[in-house]
Amino acid sequence: MKVQVRQEGSCQVVSIQGSADVGASAALRDAFLRAVDAGATRIVCDLSKTDFICSDALGVLITAYLKAHGRGGFVRLANPQKRLRELLATTRLDHLFDVHPDVASAVKNA
Amino acid sequence: MAQSPADTRDSAGWTEEVLPTRLTAIRESERKVLARLAALGYGEDHCFAVRLAFEEALINAMKHGNRMDPSRQVRLAYRVSPERVEIRVADEGAGFRSDCVPDPTVDENLQRPCGRGVMLMRSYMDEVTYSANGAEVCMVKYRANPVRGFPESGRRC
Repeated sequence: MKVQVRQEGSCQVVSIQGSADVGASAALRDAFLRAVDAGATRIVCDLSKTDFICSDALGVLITAYLKAHGRGGFVRLANPQKRLRELLATTRLDHLFDVHPDVASAVKNA
Repeated sequence: MAQSPADTRDSAGWTEEVLPTRLTAIRESERKVLARLAALGYGEDHCFAVRLAFEEALINAMKHGNRMDPSRQVRLAYRVSPERVEIRVADEGAGFRSDCVPDPTVDENLQRPCGRGVMLMRSYMDEVTYSANGAEVCMVKYRANPVRGFPESGRRC
Protein backbone atom coordinates (compact mmCIF):
# COMPACT_ATOMS: atom_id res chain seq x y z
CA MET A 1 0.00 0.00 0.00
CA LYS A 2 1.15 3.50 -0.79
CA VAL A 3 -0.30 6.59 0.89
CA GLN A 4 0.14 10.04 -0.57
CA VAL A 5 -1.06 13.28 1.00
CA ARG A 6 -1.50 16.48 -0.96
CA GLN A 7 -3.28 19.79 -0.57
CA GLU A 8 -6.15 20.48 -2.94
CA GLY A 9 -8.12 23.64 -2.34
CA SER A 10 -8.86 23.80 1.36
CA CYS A 11 -8.64 20.03 1.74
CA GLN A 12 -5.95 17.51 2.51
CA VAL A 13 -6.34 14.68 0.03
CA VAL A 14 -5.13 11.32 1.28
CA SER A 15 -4.74 8.85 -1.58
CA ILE A 16 -4.54 5.16 -0.78
CA GLN A 17 -3.00 3.07 -3.51
CA GLY A 18 -3.24 -0.72 -3.26
CA SER A 19 -4.49 -2.76 -0.32
CA ALA A 20 -5.31 -1.22 3.04
CA ASP A 21 -4.98 -4.58 4.76
CA VAL A 22 -4.08 -5.45 8.32
CA GLY A 23 -0.38 -5.15 7.55
CA ALA A 24 -0.86 -1.64 6.22
CA SER A 25 -3.28 -0.13 8.70
CA ALA A 26 -0.49 1.18 10.97
CA ALA A 27 0.95 3.22 8.09
CA LEU A 28 -2.53 4.42 7.22
CA ARG A 29 -3.14 5.43 10.83
CA ASP A 30 0.14 7.36 10.86
CA ALA A 31 -0.77 9.22 7.67
CA PHE A 32 -4.19 10.28 8.93
CA LEU A 33 -2.97 11.17 12.40
CA ARG A 34 -0.18 13.28 10.93
CA ALA A 35 -2.72 15.15 8.83
CA VAL A 36 -5.12 15.65 11.74
CA ASP A 37 -2.37 16.56 14.21
CA ALA A 38 -1.07 19.11 11.70
CA GLY A 39 -4.44 20.81 11.95
CA ALA A 40 -6.23 19.39 8.94
CA THR A 41 -9.96 19.22 9.49
CA ARG A 42 -11.09 18.88 5.87
CA ILE A 43 -9.87 15.57 4.61
CA VAL A 44 -10.74 13.77 1.40
CA CYS A 45 -9.75 10.13 1.13
CA ASP A 46 -9.15 9.20 -2.49
CA LEU A 47 -10.09 5.51 -2.87
CA SER A 48 -9.91 5.35 -6.66
CA LYS A 49 -6.84 3.11 -6.53
CA THR A 50 -7.71 1.19 -3.36
CA ASP A 51 -8.44 -2.47 -4.10
CA PHE A 52 -8.99 -3.76 -0.57
CA ILE A 53 -9.74 -2.43 2.88
CA CYS A 54 -10.03 -4.43 6.10
CA SER A 55 -12.02 -3.52 9.19
CA ASP A 56 -8.85 -2.34 10.92
CA ALA A 57 -8.32 0.25 8.17
CA LEU A 58 -12.01 1.19 8.25
CA GLY A 59 -11.45 1.89 11.94
CA VAL A 60 -8.65 4.28 11.01
CA LEU A 61 -11.00 6.19 8.69
CA ILE A 62 -13.65 6.37 11.41
CA THR A 63 -11.14 7.61 14.00
CA ALA A 64 -10.00 10.31 11.57
CA TYR A 65 -13.63 11.19 10.90
CA LEU A 66 -14.33 11.59 14.62
CA LYS A 67 -11.27 13.78 15.15
CA ALA A 68 -12.02 15.97 12.14
CA HIS A 69 -15.72 16.15 12.89
CA GLY A 70 -14.97 17.14 16.49
CA ARG A 71 -13.13 20.17 15.14
CA GLY A 72 -15.89 21.14 12.77
CA GLY A 73 -14.40 19.40 9.76
CA PHE A 74 -15.01 16.22 7.82
CA VAL A 75 -13.58 13.15 6.17
CA ARG A 76 -15.10 12.52 2.76
CA LEU A 77 -14.53 9.47 0.59
CA ALA A 78 -13.91 9.83 -3.12
CA ASN A 79 -14.37 7.34 -5.94
CA PRO A 80 -14.45 3.97 -4.18
CA GLN A 81 -14.48 1.14 -6.70
CA LYS A 82 -17.17 -1.53 -6.94
CA ARG A 83 -16.05 -3.85 -4.14
CA LEU A 84 -15.33 -1.00 -1.78
CA ARG A 85 -18.69 0.59 -2.54
CA GLU A 86 -20.30 -2.72 -1.66
CA LEU A 87 -18.24 -2.95 1.53
CA LEU A 88 -19.31 0.55 2.53
CA ALA A 89 -22.93 -0.38 1.87
CA THR A 90 -22.64 -3.67 3.78
CA THR A 91 -21.20 -1.90 6.82
CA ARG A 92 -23.57 1.06 6.31
CA LEU A 93 -20.56 3.32 6.56
CA ASP A 94 -21.89 5.04 3.46
CA HIS A 95 -24.37 6.54 5.94
CA LEU A 96 -21.53 7.90 8.07
CA PHE A 97 -19.21 9.18 5.36
CA ASP A 98 -20.11 11.42 2.47
CA VAL A 99 -19.13 9.41 -0.58
CA HIS A 100 -18.31 11.33 -3.76
CA PRO A 101 -17.75 10.10 -7.30
CA ASP A 102 -14.40 11.86 -7.54
CA VAL A 103 -11.95 14.03 -5.64
CA ALA A 104 -13.03 17.21 -7.40
CA SER A 105 -16.62 16.92 -6.20
CA ALA A 106 -15.47 15.97 -2.70
CA VAL A 107 -13.27 19.07 -2.51
CA LYS A 108 -15.94 21.32 -4.01
CA ASN A 109 -17.87 23.41 -1.48
CA ALA A 110 -15.50 22.40 1.28
CA MET B 1 6.59 -23.69 -3.14
CA ALA B 2 8.59 -24.17 0.02
CA GLN B 3 6.50 -24.52 3.15
CA SER B 4 7.47 -23.20 6.54
CA PRO B 5 8.25 -25.82 9.19
CA ALA B 6 4.91 -25.11 10.85
CA ASP B 7 2.97 -26.10 7.70
CA THR B 8 1.35 -29.47 7.31
CA ARG B 9 -1.04 -30.68 4.65
CA ASP B 10 -3.03 -33.80 5.42
CA SER B 11 -4.41 -36.40 3.07
CA ALA B 12 -7.79 -34.64 2.98
CA GLY B 13 -6.18 -31.52 1.55
CA TRP B 14 -6.18 -29.38 4.67
CA THR B 15 -3.19 -27.15 5.27
CA GLU B 16 -2.54 -26.44 8.90
CA GLU B 17 -0.43 -23.64 10.28
CA VAL B 18 0.33 -22.36 13.74
CA LEU B 19 0.69 -18.58 13.76
CA PRO B 20 2.20 -16.40 16.45
CA THR B 21 -0.07 -13.71 17.85
CA ARG B 22 1.33 -10.99 15.62
CA LEU B 23 -0.78 -9.14 13.07
CA THR B 24 2.06 -9.00 10.58
CA ALA B 25 2.08 -12.81 10.50
CA ILE B 26 -1.30 -12.82 8.75
CA ARG B 27 -0.10 -11.59 5.38
CA GLU B 28 2.08 -14.59 4.47
CA SER B 29 -0.68 -17.10 5.21
CA GLU B 30 -3.15 -14.94 3.32
CA ARG B 31 -0.84 -14.86 0.34
CA LYS B 32 -0.73 -18.66 0.25
CA VAL B 33 -4.51 -19.02 0.48
CA LEU B 34 -5.09 -16.49 -2.30
CA ALA B 35 -2.48 -18.21 -4.46
CA ARG B 36 -4.53 -21.41 -4.17
CA LEU B 37 -7.68 -19.59 -5.23
CA ALA B 38 -5.87 -18.01 -8.16
CA ALA B 39 -4.46 -21.37 -9.24
CA LEU B 40 -7.97 -22.79 -9.35
CA GLY B 41 -9.30 -19.83 -11.31
CA TYR B 42 -11.55 -18.29 -8.69
CA GLY B 43 -12.86 -14.85 -9.66
CA GLU B 44 -11.83 -11.55 -8.14
CA ASP B 45 -15.06 -11.17 -6.19
CA HIS B 46 -14.56 -14.50 -4.45
CA CYS B 47 -10.91 -13.70 -3.78
CA PHE B 48 -11.94 -10.37 -2.23
CA ALA B 49 -14.56 -12.06 -0.05
CA VAL B 50 -12.24 -14.82 1.15
CA ARG B 51 -9.42 -12.37 1.80
CA LEU B 52 -11.67 -10.12 3.83
CA ALA B 53 -13.13 -12.93 5.94
CA PHE B 54 -9.71 -14.54 6.37
CA GLU B 55 -8.20 -11.31 7.70
CA GLU B 56 -11.15 -10.59 9.96
CA ALA B 57 -11.06 -14.07 11.49
CA LEU B 58 -7.35 -13.86 12.22
CA ILE B 59 -7.52 -10.28 13.49
CA ASN B 60 -10.33 -11.30 15.86
CA ALA B 61 -8.40 -14.36 17.03
CA MET B 62 -5.28 -12.34 17.80
CA LYS B 63 -6.83 -9.15 19.13
CA HIS B 64 -9.94 -10.32 20.94
CA GLY B 65 -9.19 -14.00 21.51
CA ASN B 66 -5.52 -13.98 22.42
CA ARG B 67 -5.59 -10.29 23.42
CA MET B 68 -2.30 -9.84 21.54
CA ASP B 69 -0.54 -12.02 24.11
CA PRO B 70 2.66 -13.14 22.33
CA SER B 71 2.77 -16.33 24.39
CA ARG B 72 -0.48 -17.48 22.75
CA GLN B 73 -0.86 -18.93 19.27
CA VAL B 74 -3.51 -19.15 16.58
CA ARG B 75 -4.24 -22.41 14.82
CA LEU B 76 -5.21 -21.95 11.19
CA ALA B 77 -6.45 -24.61 8.77
CA TYR B 78 -7.64 -24.12 5.22
CA ARG B 79 -8.66 -26.23 2.27
CA VAL B 80 -9.28 -24.90 -1.22
CA SER B 81 -11.00 -27.08 -3.79
CA PRO B 82 -12.53 -26.20 -7.15
CA GLU B 83 -15.94 -26.07 -5.42
CA ARG B 84 -15.33 -24.35 -2.10
CA VAL B 85 -12.95 -22.60 0.25
CA GLU B 86 -12.94 -23.74 3.88
CA ILE B 87 -11.13 -21.92 6.67
CA ARG B 88 -10.85 -22.72 10.38
CA VAL B 89 -9.29 -20.36 12.90
CA ALA B 90 -8.85 -21.17 16.59
CA ASP B 91 -7.37 -18.99 19.30
CA GLU B 92 -6.33 -19.66 22.87
CA GLY B 93 -8.65 -17.16 24.47
CA ALA B 94 -11.67 -17.64 26.69
CA GLY B 95 -14.06 -17.50 23.74
CA PHE B 96 -17.12 -15.36 23.24
CA ARG B 97 -20.75 -15.53 22.18
CA SER B 98 -20.97 -14.44 18.58
CA ASP B 99 -24.69 -13.76 18.95
CA CYS B 100 -23.90 -11.14 21.62
CA VAL B 101 -21.72 -8.95 19.40
CA PRO B 102 -23.43 -5.57 18.96
CA ASP B 103 -24.72 -4.93 15.46
CA PRO B 104 -22.20 -2.46 13.96
CA THR B 105 -24.64 -1.38 11.26
CA VAL B 106 -27.21 0.27 13.51
CA ASP B 107 -27.02 4.04 13.71
CA GLU B 108 -25.75 4.23 17.29
CA ASN B 109 -22.78 1.97 16.45
CA LEU B 110 -21.73 3.44 13.11
CA GLN B 111 -19.08 5.66 14.72
CA ARG B 112 -17.43 2.79 16.57
CA PRO B 113 -13.97 2.22 15.07
CA CYS B 114 -14.12 -1.54 15.71
CA GLY B 115 -16.57 -4.42 15.98
CA ARG B 116 -17.21 -5.16 12.31
CA GLY B 117 -15.24 -8.38 11.90
CA VAL B 118 -17.95 -10.93 12.69
CA MET B 119 -20.53 -9.09 10.59
CA LEU B 120 -18.16 -8.95 7.61
CA MET B 121 -17.36 -12.65 7.88
CA ARG B 122 -21.06 -13.49 7.95
CA SER B 123 -21.76 -11.14 5.05
CA TYR B 124 -19.03 -12.35 2.71
CA MET B 125 -18.90 -16.09 3.46
CA ASP B 126 -21.71 -18.60 2.91
CA GLU B 127 -21.31 -20.42 6.21
CA VAL B 128 -19.83 -19.12 9.47
CA THR B 129 -20.06 -21.32 12.55
CA TYR B 130 -18.45 -21.01 15.94
CA SER B 131 -17.48 -23.68 18.41
CA ALA B 132 -19.47 -23.90 21.62
CA ASN B 133 -17.19 -21.51 23.49
CA GLY B 134 -16.57 -19.27 20.46
CA ALA B 135 -12.81 -19.75 20.36
CA GLU B 136 -12.89 -21.46 16.96
CA VAL B 137 -14.63 -20.30 13.80
CA CYS B 138 -15.24 -22.31 10.64
CA MET B 139 -16.11 -20.55 7.40
CA VAL B 140 -17.05 -21.78 3.94
CA LYS B 141 -17.38 -19.92 0.65
CA TYR B 142 -18.88 -21.86 -2.25
CA ARG B 143 -17.71 -21.08 -5.73
CA ALA B 144 -21.21 -21.49 -7.14
CA ASN B 145 -22.61 -18.80 -4.86
CA PRO B 146 -22.14 -15.18 -5.86
CA VAL B 147 -20.58 -12.83 -3.37
CA ARG B 148 -23.17 -10.72 -1.60
CA GLY B 149 -23.96 -7.54 -3.39
CA PHE B 150 -22.18 -8.08 -6.63
CA PRO B 151 -22.59 -10.81 -9.23
CA GLU B 152 -19.42 -12.59 -10.24
CA SER B 153 -17.64 -10.38 -12.73
CA GLY B 154 -15.83 -13.27 -14.39
CA ARG B 155 -12.42 -11.65 -13.98
CA ARG B 156 -9.80 -13.91 -12.45
CA CYS B 157 -7.56 -12.99 -9.57
